Amino acid sequence: MSRQLRVDWPACRARGLCHEVLPDLVDLDEWGYPLVRGPVTDDLLADAQEAVRVCPRLALRLIDGR
Amino acid sequence: MTTYLDPHHTVRTDDARPASPVPIPTRVTVEPGPALLAGIEHGASLGAHRRQYGELPRLDRDALHDLVGRVRLRGRGGAAFPFATKLEALRRGRRPVLVINMSEGEPASSKDAALALTRPHLVIDGAVAAARALHARELHVVLPGDRPAAATAMRTALAERDDSVPVHSHVATPRFVAGQAKAVVELLAGRPNLPVTSWKPDAIAGHQGRPTLLSNAETWARLGLLVLRGEREYAAVGTRDESGATLLTLSRPGADPLVREAAYGDRLRDHLPAHAYGRPALIGGFHGSWATWETMASARVSVPGLRGLGVALGAGVVLSSPAGQCPLTLTSQVVDYLAGQSAGRCGPCFNGLPALAGALGAVRDGSGGPVRVTQLATLVERRGACAHPDGTVRLVRSLLGTFAAEVSAHGEGRCLEASRLRVVPVTAREFAS
Repeated sequence: MSRQLRVDWPACRARGLCHEVLPDLVDLDEWGYPLVRGPVTDDLLADAQEAVRVCPRLALRLIDGR
Repeated sequence: MTTYLDPHHTVRTDDARPASPVPIPTRVTVEPGPALLAGIEHGASLGAHRRQYGELPRLDRDALHDLVGRVRLRGRGGAAFPFATKLEALRRGRRPVLVINMSEGEPASSKDAALALTRPHLVIDGAVAAARALHARELHVVLPGDRPAAATAMRTALAERDDSVPVHSHVATPRFVAGQAKAVVELLAGRPNLPVTSWKPDAIAGHQGRPTLLSNAETWARLGLLVLRGEREYAAVGTRDESGATLLTLSRPGADPLVREAAYGDRLRDHLPAHAYGRPALIGGFHGSWATWETMASARVSVPGLRGLGVALGAGVVLSSPAGQCPLTLTSQVVDYLAGQSAGRCGPCFNGLPALAGALGAVRDGSGGPVRVTQLATLVERRGACAHPDGTVRLVRSLLGTFAAEVSAHGEGRCLEASRLRVVPVTAREFAS
């Protein structure tokens, strides 16, 4: 099953830890907010879970499907 | 003066926000129409309503579902979502909450206000019929915050009735994004009337975690008409594929907007005021798309028909750009306004929409090209809790796609619309001499 990293946009404050933990999947835009590049593949799953865990705003969730 | 918080907790005043180039009207003209607006001359009272339509029949859940499925009732809030699908999604097992959304934050739309003023009991009957069929726990009515006459008319109508379902009314914050479904559910909960991230559909867990059925006022009025008149009479208007009619709000320069009811299948041009002829129009409102006159001249009032032409009817706004008004300049003013209407909660919208408005302003002034506009559009799209950035991007992209020649002209310091006007005084002088 494909998993997606979803941003809770009102909660996000562009702290950028998701990019540090998961640079292969998360870029930052010109204001520092995450740009999630695609679904979470199996090889990125552990890092994605880490990104969810370390977000200081608790603004990331891993969700199933689209 | 009111204040609100941006994501970084600094305070901005509302006064600093750009005004809408189309003001929220203080008056609206409503013409009698073939379905909802038939008989409006008899007044908006409950007595007049019952004389015209009789008592509200009782339906059970299955009968309601069959009825809306057979006429293929679609939502009139903008997305044209099938009402039957919405009913199917409504989680069973807990009594649902029903919501009449009349907030109408779009300045160019006045159809919900028109319904409040002329047809409040059709709106309420539709919701009450559904409340009975679904054993709803309560009915919420969300009134517009910046259209006091419409809000008063709805309150008056509610006070005339004695429905068994408990009814609660709320007043929306006067803001473009306040009518978005999640923002409305926030308002019902007593929190700021602003969008939040939706993790579960409202039909599953909306107000207080209950299954919530939220629809636009016109959708409820269509349902009311359907229940009161029956399928056959309802479907006597419209086409075989699209039953019924839909409300349009037509802009008129220097006059009140006009709300008309068009049967599906009608030629769009037959409903337009004279000044709109030969002119492009913004269809679907500030989150809508530009259509050239050639497109409009051939268009029928039809959700799939207009979609086929690349235009979404949305909530039925047809905002014509009158002669002499440059569509690029108007769009730039609209985007300035929309940028200021961001709830300010989602970073890409809060930062990106003002940047997008600035980039489009540069295109208008000839100081910047459309490349930056396109880049910013991609950057804000689908990156917010609500569809405000997406709708703004739709408008901007349709401008660039529809008026490529005007965009190029502005890049060279010219304006095609203004050049066209310059012909007029020369001709007038020739005639005078």
